[in-house]
Amino acid sequence: MASLTLENITVDFPIYGAQKTFRGAIRSATGGLIRREGSDHQHITVRALDNLSLSIKHGDRLGIIGHNGAGKSTLLRLCAGVYEPANGRVLIEGKVSPLFNTSPGLDMDDTGYENIITCGLYLGMTHEEIARKTPDIEAFSELGEYLSLPTKTYSTGMLTRLGFAIATAIDPEILVLDEGLGAGDARFAEKAKRRVDALIERSSVLILASHSDALIQSLCTRAILLQSGRIVTEGRVEEVIEAYRKLNQTSP
Amino acid sequence: MTPSYSSALEDVTGGFSNWRMWGRLGWQETKRRYRRTIIGPFWTTLSLSIFIFTLGILWAQLWKQDPKSYLPFLTAGMLAWGMVATTITEGCSVFIAAEGLIKSLKFSYTLLTCAVVWRNLIVFLHHLLIFVGVMVYAGVPVTANTLLVVPGLLLVAVNGIWVCTLLGMMCSRFRDIQQIVGSVLQISMFVTPIFWTPKQLGDRYTIYVDLNPLYHYVDIVRSPLLGNAPSLLSWEMVAAGTVIGWAVTLFCYSRFRRRLSYWI
Repeated sequence: MASLTLENITVDFPIYGAQKTFRGAIRSATGGLIRREGSDHQHITVRALDNLSLSIKHGDRLGIIGHNGAGKSTLLRLCAGVYEPANGRVLIEGKVSPLFNTSPGLDMDDTGYENIITCGLYLGMTHEEIARKTPDIEAFSELGEYLSLPTKTYSTGMLTRLGFAIATAIDPEILVLDEGLGAGDARFAEKAKRRVDALIERSSVLILASHSDALIQSLCTRAILLQSGRIVTEGRVEEVIEAYRKLNQTSP
Repeated sequence: MTPSYSSALEDVTGGFSNWRMWGRLGWQETKRRYRRTIIGPFWTTLSLSIFIFTLGILWAQLWKQDPKSYLPFLTAGMLAWGMVATTITEGCSVFIAAEGLIKSLKFSYTLLTCAVVWRNLIVFLHHLLIFVGVMVYAGVPVTANTLLVVPGLLLVAVNGIWVCTLLGMMCSRFRDIQQIVGSVLQISMFVTPIFWTPKQLGDRYTIYVDLNPLYHYVDIVRSPLLGNAPSLLSWEMVAAGTVIGWAVTLFCYSRFRRRLSYWI
């Protein structure tokens, strides 16, 4: 059973190389809270997540809503194990598959086939799994003979299709998805949507960050609203979206 | 910062045991150098061999050395130095260069350091061709000691992993270190006996050579290539370097591995 529990998580980003003038100038800003630490206030940190607790169980489809800088991406990366919290605990059961970037480790000098293997390995697939999935990636990306050519010869759309085909070939337990997972041209976008739906269907847990009400409504069963690194509202998708709309009206 | 030795060890063993992955990363990088060139990485081999032959003969004249004994010494030293120095240089940027990966995936960062070491080992094997040529020219004997090059290279590789991990971590946090390491290596090339033998320096200064760890790392590869056994002191210094280096690296890695994604 896949599950993910966050207990009183705090994430501080250290800011190095901040100018003296900047240090003096910090008053207010959007995004995380900027703090000064240390005896002489020399260390500048941005608090991206503030004492946040969350429990995600098997079968959950969690949507994360919030303004830019509310901490959505940081929370996703925390769930993916990229960042470890300054305080608090992260308990993960099951394999987390993060999809922020469709092609980790992609090298433009390598051929499509070589990149399928490199990216596949980075995404946690075994050589056998990759060999098994390659026909599916070939078919979905519609790249044909191009797969034997270096990826720098590809058009932007072709590159997107390849990255997308590889990234969505995984069998995730806990799928951590950023909305920006690109799609290509209109015809491909429709196909891509079906493929993402199938990918989500295969996963036991979904964590999705998005600005789109419609996307969250169609994919998620529960949601949280983040503001300045804190959970402001938690519950059913409709309630949380309603709260987000209200937040937008009060602080445009 | 509370240390987490288990996660540091897990990273190192997990990364190292995934040899198919780092083997592939190192090999792909080498293959890229072959693309669209006929001799690929042998270009560096070629320019290195021109460097060694011209300067080797010049310096042999200047220092009144027999080219047949000086050339093999210079070649073996340059090859070993090249591997040691490039591993150190590339170690400084290993994590910074992988920013995209580190910020989007959780994986054993040791994969990246192993790939750097492996790639440099592959380059060394390419360059070994020069030495084979010099061996034929100068009649360097192949003895039982020549086989010691295998443990020599293995030790350099094992040390390369901690050097890359430690320097990669330090350079991610303090960007000045990369520049410092570059300058120190540049001077070390002349201070370490590569162009000259410790004997030429005279007994009075031998202590400075013996205290230079880089000399011993170079010599455990160079001496076997020349058909000699490295001195006991070299083995001891390298063994000490391996133990102390890994201990310091694990000490730091267990504390700061989890800060790495914040630093880059």
